[in-house]
Amino acid sequence: MKPLHLLALMLFLAGTVWALTRSEEAVREIQAAYYSAVSPFLKSGSAMETRARALLDEVEHSKALAAETDTLRAEVGRLRIIESRFRELERENAQLRHALDFPKTTNFEVVAARVVRRHPTTWWQTLEIDAGSDRGIGTQLSVLSNEGLVGKVHRIDSGGDRASVLLITDEQCLVSARVEGTPEVGIVSGRRGHFEGTPRLRLRFLSKDAAIRPGLRVFTTGRGGIFQPNILIGTIESVEKGPLDSEAVVRPSVNFEDLGTVFVVLANDS
Amino acid sequence: MIRYTLITVLLLLAAFVAQQFIPAFTGLYHSRVLLVHLVFLCAAVTVGAPAMLLLAFIGGFLWDAHCAIGPHGGDPEVYSQPVESLRFGYSILLFAALGYLMQGVQPLFRQGKWQVSAALTGIAILIYLLAEYLLINFVRGEFHFRAAVAGQVVLTAGMTMLFSPLVFWLLFKLSELCQNPILPAAGNKRRRRR
Repeated sequence: MKPLHLLALMLFLAGTVWALTRSEEAVREIQAAYYSAVSPFLKSGSAMETRARALLDEVEHSKALAAETDTLRAEVGRLRIIESRFRELERENAQLRHALDFPKTTNFEVVAARVVRRHPTTWWQTLEIDAGSDRGIGTQLSVLSNEGLVGKVHRIDSGGDRASVLLITDEQCLVSARVEGTPEVGIVSGRRGHFEGTPRLRLRFLSKDAAIRPGLRVFTTGRGGIFQPNILIGTIESVEKGPLDSEAVVRPSVNFEDLGTVFVVLANDS
Repeated sequence: MIRYTLITVLLLLAAFVAQQFIPAFTGLYHSRVLLVHLVFLCAAVTVGAPAMLLLAFIGGFLWDAHCAIGPHGGDPEVYSQPVESLRFGYSILLFAALGYLMQGVQPLFRQGKWQVSAALTGIAILIYLLAEYLLINFVRGEFHFRAAVAGQVVLTAGMTMLFSPLVFWLLFKLSELCQNPILPAAGNKRRRRR
């Protein structure tokens, strides 16, 4: 081996060991610097992807989209009326709480955001949204859709107008969950590399003789400090009994392939 | 030589920018063109081992910065089972291993048979993705290999390989600009014919 090659190899190995021993915090700083550098290109890239998807949708389903728009307009009108009534009730509730000196238990403020990029990496189950710290979004906040739990924010871009969401279908996103109508609680997680059809989740650490059956719904418990309670995760599809505990396969309530708008829950004080 | 090495580094950085514009093909098992890997593999066969290691370090380091997932967070009393994940920096080693694989066909490349290297880029990406998937399974402690994963790996490698002649053409042009012939044997042959 040539001396120059040997020297380069030694330097390379030293650099690799340095990179492999970076702390979590140092990795975040490196990542923040990287995303700050590529941020302008990310925006253009995701804008292109969004436009291409919109064009394809328009070409494929223009009539269906027109009908859907009409339905949605009607639905928005109905929800506006309900929201105004809800705001009145909220005000009234706050006044009564104040009068009774009753402590506030939950705070559920959400920010709507559009999905601008799907599957930006090979194996990791993430997506990017067009809202960031400029709209009050921080990391470890839960993300919902109108169908149920989507995931949590795991990175905010330095520009402040974008964030990355780790989906519950990724095995690194753990959710404390309960099965409706039973005392069973466990941890829900996904698995990387499931791309065909609807991905499935696994509800683990249930008791050995868990009295659960397919069709029961799974909700968040609210424990763990990330996800608010009673958010729908999915429906039990099958149950596998083990010698020490049971596991259930859960079909997520959210269609991850069709996510257009999501909601980030700002307050996390439940 | 130094000028050409610097240009390959810049080309690799440009590939990171261009990668942001390449979406995943959801209809084809979420396969995609891995431009960063392709540029690294094509450049690896045209430079010496020290330069290849430099490119592997930059490529692997930035790729991990691109993909790394945030900390788990949450109450450790509830989430008592730690989520093991791949360590930041593992891609550097994978890039270097594939770089050495590409350097194995450098004698053929220097004879002007760049087509062998172009085919090898596809095989190298296939190995890279399989190694990454196996590492994920190893860390998880469970092995699952579905047809969709095989589809994703094969289609990604195949689609990426299709672009390798384009990257080689770009590298030939850049080497000419730098007056650093990357196909010396082929150049000698041409001169002898004249």
